[in-house]
Amino acid sequence: MVKIIVFSLTSRFVIATTVITFCGLIWTVPTAANAGSQRLVLTGSSTVAPLINEIARRFEAQSSGVRIDVQTGGSSRGVNDVRKNIADIGMISRALKTDEKDLHAFTVALDGISLIVHADNPVTALGRQQIADIFTGNVSRWRAVGGTDARITVVNKAEGRSTLELFLEYLQVKNSAIKPHIIIGDNAQGIKTVTGNRNAIGYVSIGAAEYEVQRGASLRLLALDGVEASVENVRNGTFPLSRPLNLITASEPNGLVREFIRFAQSPQVHDLIEAQYFVPADAN
Amino acid sequence: MPETIPLQTKQKIRDCTAQGLIYLAVLLVSAVFVWLLTDLVRGGIAHLSWAFLTESPHDAGRTGGIASILVSTLLILLVALITAIPLAWSTAILMAEFVPVESNFGKTVRFSLYVLAGVPSIVFGLFGNAFFSIYLGLGFSILSGGLTLACMLLPILTSTAEAGLRAVPDTYRLSAAALGISRTAALIHLIMPAAAPALTAGLLIGVGRALAETAALLFTSGYVDRMPGSLLDSGRALALHIFDLSMNVPGGDNAAYASALVLVCLLLSINILAMKLAYGLQRRKIMT
Repeated sequence: MVKIIVFSLTSRFVIATTVITFCGLIWTVPTAANAGSQRLVLTGSSTVAPLINEIARRFEAQSSGVRIDVQTGGSSRGVNDVRKNIADIGMISRALKTDEKDLHAFTVALDGISLIVHADNPVTALGRQQIADIFTGNVSRWRAVGGTDARITVVNKAEGRSTLELFLEYLQVKNSAIKPHIIIGDNAQGIKTVTGNRNAIGYVSIGAAEYEVQRGASLRLLALDGVEASVENVRNGTFPLSRPLNLITASEPNGLVREFIRFAQSPQVHDLIEAQYFVPADAN
Repeated sequence: MPETIPLQTKQKIRDCTAQGLIYLAVLLVSAVFVWLLTDLVRGGIAHLSWAFLTESPHDAGRTGGIASILVSTLLILLVALITAIPLAWSTAILMAEFVPVESNFGKTVRFSLYVLAGVPSIVFGLFGNAFFSIYLGLGFSILSGGLTLACMLLPILTSTAEAGLRAVPDTYRLSAAALGISRTAALIHLIMPAAAPALTAGLLIGVGRALAETAALLFTSGYVDRMPGSLLDSGRALALHIFDLSMNVPGGDNAAYASALVLVCLLLSINILAMKLAYGLQRRKIMT
């Protein structure tokens, strides 16, 4: 009997100490770690986020006591969070719109958007009107544009993605006019959808598509307006469908924010930009 | 007499077919699991190494490892479980032991838990972002991610625990009362240990759901793949890392496969460990 009481007492003591230690950990660790460190929060485009993450890592390594948190969620979220002051800097993969002129944009890199089809598809180039016909459903079989007699699977981007907005602007059509069979989010998802379907057509970032083609993915990039879709043609400015990758702030940047933006625009990070298959902004 | 023999073989054939179909169904179910596992192993084993588990990710996750992401994931899970378990299990005890099944209070609580269980995880994510991250000012942090997950785990943990406690036969409670054991003592020494396997099973479902969660964590615990220094730091969860690698990072497939393999192994080992613990606990507690 005594043994049981002693046992239950010790076990209760152990449990109590564990609980107290946990609570202690939860409350002491944050205060200790956050003393004397500056923090920047960035949110926005999922296309830009991996690049900025790498730039931030290098920036942190150079200046001690700085923490940069990169969050994602899409360009629209970047604009929202900067306006609401939740984030210090936003990331958008497009130029500022006319109703966003209250924000300040700083271009870090350029990216092109290319139409992609499966490598087995005989079509190598499409005109602007043909693309518009395909995406609005006026042309529903590949035969009409010089391909095989198969039904076209139209892959569109989800609402709020800047790739979609740019693509619509290029085609001069509204999103409600597009009749998609599949709606996708990020670039790699688009590439996977098209490599898995011989009759699909979609559009993604050129860098991502070129990279997958180099690795042997069964994918073809279509020429636009007679210009071949390549990172090289985005760099020299001839490719018609390209976009800036911007950092945005709510007010004129100063202090750490300005330092970081300057760093992201400096030649010190060009190797990082190229490693993510984008084009450094001041290269042309 | 000669007519009964074909009847018997007929019945035998029918029995055999039924049995065969059941075995086929079982085989199909396990085949799905085996297929999934072989696919993961085939895609991920080449990329998996000790360094992969101990290094932080580089080049957007294409190279490097997942050490920081594992730490974040476990911290998020820990916060979620520490918050959710006491709340959920005490609610379950109240519902199973002290409130009649047909009472209005019991019905209301149960109904609200059912509704909560049906809410999609992205809604929890948006709620967590609005409440924990912005309103309470926790920002993108492991703490707000963990608390959001805790909200998600509440209905699962509560309803499984309640069902487990109700499954304990009433004779246990009557015998305890006859022996003059107080209700609390009976609960701690008899009923809870007897329900331990059910509680653990519920816990495992919860842990599985928490580890697999992507949508609820994107807006709360965030996207930062650095080693977290505190619970107020943003930390990327493993499932979110896999999602980002396979959907957003070109060339991240191998790392995604390897991370998925780690996630599945983690789940399996947690399952096995918890099952062993539960049975041990049940035996020890009831015997003393």
